[in-house]
Order: sequence, then C-alpha cells, then structure tokens
Amino acid sequence: MDASNPPPAQEPLARDDRASGSDGAVLTVNDLRVCFAGDRTTTTAVDGVSFTLRKGRSLGVVGESGSGKSVSSLAVLRLLPTDSAQISGEILFAGQDLLSIGEKQMRNLRGNQISMIFQEPMTSLNPSYTVGDQVAETILRHRSVSKAEAWTQAVEMLRLVRIPSPETRARQYPHNLSGGMRQRVMIAMALACEPQVLIADEPTTALDVTIQAQILDLLENLKSTTGTAIVLITHDLGVVAEACDDVIVMYAGQVVESGSVEQIFSFPQHPYTVGLLGSLPRLDEERDELVAIGGTVPDMTQPPAGCRFAARCPFRIEKCAETPPMLEVNPGHTSRCWRTPLEELADEF
Amino acid sequence: MSFETTSSQPPLLVASDVSKHFTLRRTIFGRPLTKVRAVDDISFSLQPGETLAIVGESGCGKSTLGRVLMRLIEPSAGAVTLDGVELTALSNRDMLAQRSKIQLVFQDPYASLNPRMTIGQTVGEPLMLHNVVPKAQRAERVKELLKMVGLRPEHASRYPHEFSGGQRQRVVIARALASEPKILVCDEAVSALDVSIQAQVLNLLKSLQKKLGLAYIFISHDLSVVKHIADRVAVMYLGKVVELGETRKIFSTPRHPYTRALLSAIPAAHLGHGRDTAAHALAGDLPSPIDPPSGCRLHTRCPHARPECKAVDMSLDVEADGHANACAFWKELPQTDDLLGKGRATDPRLAKLFAAFSNPLPEGEQAPC
Repeated sequence: MDASNPPPAQEPLARDDRASGSDGAVLTVNDLRVCFAGDRTTTTAVDGVSFTLRKGRSLGVVGESGSGKSVSSLAVLRLLPTDSAQISGEILFAGQDLLSIGEKQMRNLRGNQISMIFQEPMTSLNPSYTVGDQVAETILRHRSVSKAEAWTQAVEMLRLVRIPSPETRARQYPHNLSGGMRQRVMIAMALACEPQVLIADEPTTALDVTIQAQILDLLENLKSTTGTAIVLITHDLGVVAEACDDVIVMYAGQVVESGSVEQIFSFPQHPYTVGLLGSLPRLDEERDELVAIGGTVPDMTQPPAGCRFAARCPFRIEKCAETPPMLEVNPGHTSRCWRTPLEELADEF
Repeated sequence: MSFETTSSQPPLLVASDVSKHFTLRRTIFGRPLTKVRAVDDISFSLQPGETLAIVGESGCGKSTLGRVLMRLIEPSAGAVTLDGVELTALSNRDMLAQRSKIQLVFQDPYASLNPRMTIGQTVGEPLMLHNVVPKAQRAERVKELLKMVGLRPEHASRYPHEFSGGQRQRVVIARALASEPKILVCDEAVSALDVSIQAQVLNLLKSLQKKLGLAYIFISHDLSVVKHIADRVAVMYLGKVVELGETRKIFSTPRHPYTRALLSAIPAAHLGHGRDTAAHALAGDLPSPIDPPSGCRLHTRCPHARPECKAVDMSLDVEADGHANACAFWKELPQTDDLLGKGRATDPRLAKLFAAFSNPLPEGEQAPC
C-alpha cells in the first residue's frame, strides 16, 4: 500500500484566514427554511438555519435523527425534490445565491465546486460501471480533458484516497470492493474536481471503527493539503471531537448551539448539548448512570411555541415559553437558550 | 477447556469448543468445497448475573456465536451447556422448553416487532407459548412487564407504529423478559438508537439486571458502550476469540494487537486525550472470511507482525487472573501505558447539570419513555 504518495501540488494555503471574518467564508447559509407539504399537514424540517463555513476548516453538524441535518445539506446542493420541498433563505457560495441560480448553473457547480459524500457507500455507487469509470465520469463532466486523461486522473484520485493498487481496482466493479474501499471511492469521486466545499453526510456511520479511523484520517489530510472546507454531518460526538474545528448542534430543525469544538466540549451552553454529552459513555471515566433525556422529539408538523427543547429540559423556566434567539455566551459561542450562561445554574442543583 | 472466573458459583452457560462452519459450495456429490468458518473453536463461560460482551467488527462472527448459543443456528462442533443441560444434545422439542431460559433482543426494533400485533399480544405471546402464568392472569402480567421496562400499562392495546425507536426497543425487551429467562442475548441492542435513547435503554438494561439477576451476552461493535455495561469482554476477529478478560483489564492493559487497534480507533468524545492512535492502527481491510490468513489471522494487518506469525496457532494464553489472549508474542509487544488517554476531566459544574437530567421532569410531563 502506497500511503506516502504525495498529493498533487497545491498553492500554499492561507490557513489563518479565519480571523479575517467573512473573508475566509466559502459557504454562508442564512435563515434556511425547508418545508415539506403533505396532504393535510406541512412538516417544517429545517427552520431558520444559519452557518458559515470557512476555507480549510471543518464544521461538524450534530443532531439526532429527524433534527434536519441531512435535509439542510441536501438543500445546499439543491437535491431536494422541487415539487414537495419549499425552500427559502439564502445560500451564498462564491458571491451568488445558490437558491436563485438556474438548474444548469447548479449542475456545473455540483460535483465540481461543491460535492457530497453520502452515508451508504453500498447504494450510492452504480453497480454496472467500474469504479474507475465512475470517478472519470465526474472529471469528464466538469473538465475539458480526453477520456484517457480523465482515466489517468481517476486512477490518481484512487491513489490519493489510499486505495492499494489503484490501476487494478479502477477496473473493478463496486461489488468487488469492501465497504471501506467503496467509501474511499465515493470520496475520490467527490474530490476529483478539487471542490471548495465537501459535504459528508455520515461518511463513516456504516463502517467499522478501524476503517472509520482510516477515513477520518484521510479527510483530515485532504483538508490540510487541498484546503477543502468540510461539512461533516454526524450523530457521533466522538467523530466531531476528533475531526472538526467548529460545531453546530441541531434540534428539531433549528441550530441550538454553535461554537468551536473546544468551547462546546469543555462547557456546552445549551441544555440539549449538555444532555447529549452526558448520555455518552466515556472511555476514560466511570459513569454509573448515563444521562437519559426524558420525553421525545417534538412533532414537526406542529412544532411547539417557544423553546423547542423546553418540554424535555430540566432547567426550564416560565420565560422558555417565548422563542429564544441565538444568544452569544462567549465570543464565537452562541446558544438558543434563555438560561445561558449555564455555569451559573450548577449551584441550583 | 473453558475459562472460569474466580467465582465459586457454577457457571450458568458454558460454551466449549463451539464452531460453526457454513458451507458455501459443494461438489455434485455433496462434498463441501468452500466453507466460512464463522465461529471457530470458541470456549467461555458465563456466571449468573454477569454481563459478557462480545465485540468485533462486522463479519467477525459475533452474531453467529450469539445465535449458536441459543441453538437458533446449529453448531458444527462443540457443546453449549445451559444451567447443567447440554443444549446441543437436546431434541428440538426439548430445546423449545429450554429456550425460555435464554432470550434474544434484536438490533432493529423496527423489524423485530410484528406490525399487525398489538404490544399486548406481542408481549403476551411468550407467556402463552411457555405457559408462564395461567391464562386469566396473562393480561395482568403483560401490564407488569410493560411497567418494568418503563412503558405505561395502557400501551398494551397499541400497535408498534405508534412508538418511537426507543419505546419499541423497550417492547422487545419486555417480550424477551416475558418467559422469565436467566440470560438475555442482546445482539447490537442499542446500535440502531440515537445516543440519548441509547442511554435510556442502557440504563434500563442495567437496572433490570440488578433487579432480576439477569445475565447478559452483550454483542456490540461499540466499545464505549461495552465498557459501560460489561463485566467481561471477549474480542473476536475472523471467527476467533483473540482476547478475553475482565472489562477493566481489557481496557487498561489490552494484550492483543487487535484489541489495541480497536481501542485506539474509537473517536473519543472528550478533548485533550492526546493519544497516539497511529501506532496501533491496522493496515488495510478485513480479509475474506472464506479464506482467512494462515497462522495468526491478524498477521496481514498487524503493525507488530513478524514472519513467524504466519505459522503460529491462535490458542489463548491465559494469565493467572484469567486474562487470556491469542497473540503468540504478546509478551514482546511494546508496552501500552495509556491507550485510551486521560481526557480533560468533566467540569464539576457540568457534572451537576448532567445530574439534573435524572431529576423527574417538572409536573405535567410524561415519564421518560
């Protein structure tokens, strides 16, 4: 296995453009709202989500099933069915709003400047084409190169994602490859055109831990060598702590907390995040009983008024009947909770 | 051979040299050509009230082993003894009666409940099959069981689709408890659940164990969950147990390179652990179980492999405290002082907030379910 093969040369990166505010932003989502109209009811899957993704950084999107994290990412790529999904808000990429450009323009961006890795490597590859063909297809679609040239680049991409003997593997079909290798093919496809933004939706959930570690390592490497900004959608807080720089936590279609990994893991400022962290068994500490967040996620056809977590929150007060805004607790660390800073609550219990 | 724990009680379940080989291809005369050795020569024992976790990656044979223990899959060789009765020697009819003592909790609560049966019928079925209580008392017993797993008695008349994943898993557990088993085999019982729900079910399993003295065979790929719930751990790789010992020992001083790799690969949900994961990482992918590597099956991926590894056998080397592992050269491996890393301790104020979640919710809210 040739792991030491250097990636294609890149221009040196301005790694520290985070401080320059909006300058480093490659993707900005403002007040994104996605509704699905049913026969009698309308489900609001995403309700006013905003975030900023900066060059060369990775943003973790955490939340449980049904919190709207995957729908948000599909909305960014405009992959939601246009007949049933109503999308509003603003998705700014390279100075244009992705929600207002034409489908043809969008197709030129997709897989080229913004690309996506899906959760299921088994179902996202076409079983009747070789993996080399599928990676080359992306290159042919977006670059003016010959078929032979596209194939060479595809093999190079497979080598970059550390698939052993890529020349042989490129001529094989998805069923010849293991799950971890298929996921690497997906990553190779997504990165073939050196996108500025890579959205990875649960890229390691279907994989075993040892393979997960390899894939996360690979993403980390690509981020630092190519400067690709990564949105990592996951329900696994461990993956976020290992692989992300910034985090947003979603609950019932809203962002409830946003900050750096450091801030959120050292002292979360939203009760939901507190519950999530407490519900994880820790490897280095003994916990007799895990935190179990009582109650269930609200019904999104009729989201509750006020704070959506209030019904399950042990810290709620009367004011929680009013919808809380995102409040800044520390610089760069915001939370949708009236009771912040939560440190001060500790004495009450 | 079996590895007894120090306890003086007779073991509840003993597996001795259990194997399961699946035949993939036969000649036209029926002679097997290729076999998958899904479970290969595994021995262990389980004490009453104990939790033994079986961990490993997909395809290592842990689910097959769980089913072999219940004789849902007939073993190719070896014997399973439950409470002094050799299950593998029983007729099918006698086995049915024994099965009330060992029950299974499946992974996916969306697939393991019959959508056309009410919760009451589902939980009541084992009561009828094993004739646990007289017919007149069945409805009452179903309600007790539902209460025991944290559901409300009136849920008995509802159908599975009305419940969330966590609630369904509680129903599956209630059904498994109905026949008053001594052992629950939990096959990835919390893997399909969201973390907060997973925590609820883990807490439930722990409290049931305390209350009823159940023993668990806890099959999982998630080592942090295993560390939380298990007393002992068996690590499997390609059909073989590579390490078996007390949870504390496995996590603090793992012997086998595969266990070390697994432990170092878990992403830790806390900061500042500063572990060196690369040193223990395995190379490449899982080899095909149809044609596993000769000698030590890990040698193709092991960072400490040496030429002799191709020829060694994988018998377990048992230390004085019962900690067993299958690496022929484990004494020569580099020391691992702190594989899990010591993360930054939880802020005591944050720990107080965690505790607040276990207080009952303010009035007007339903109990957690």
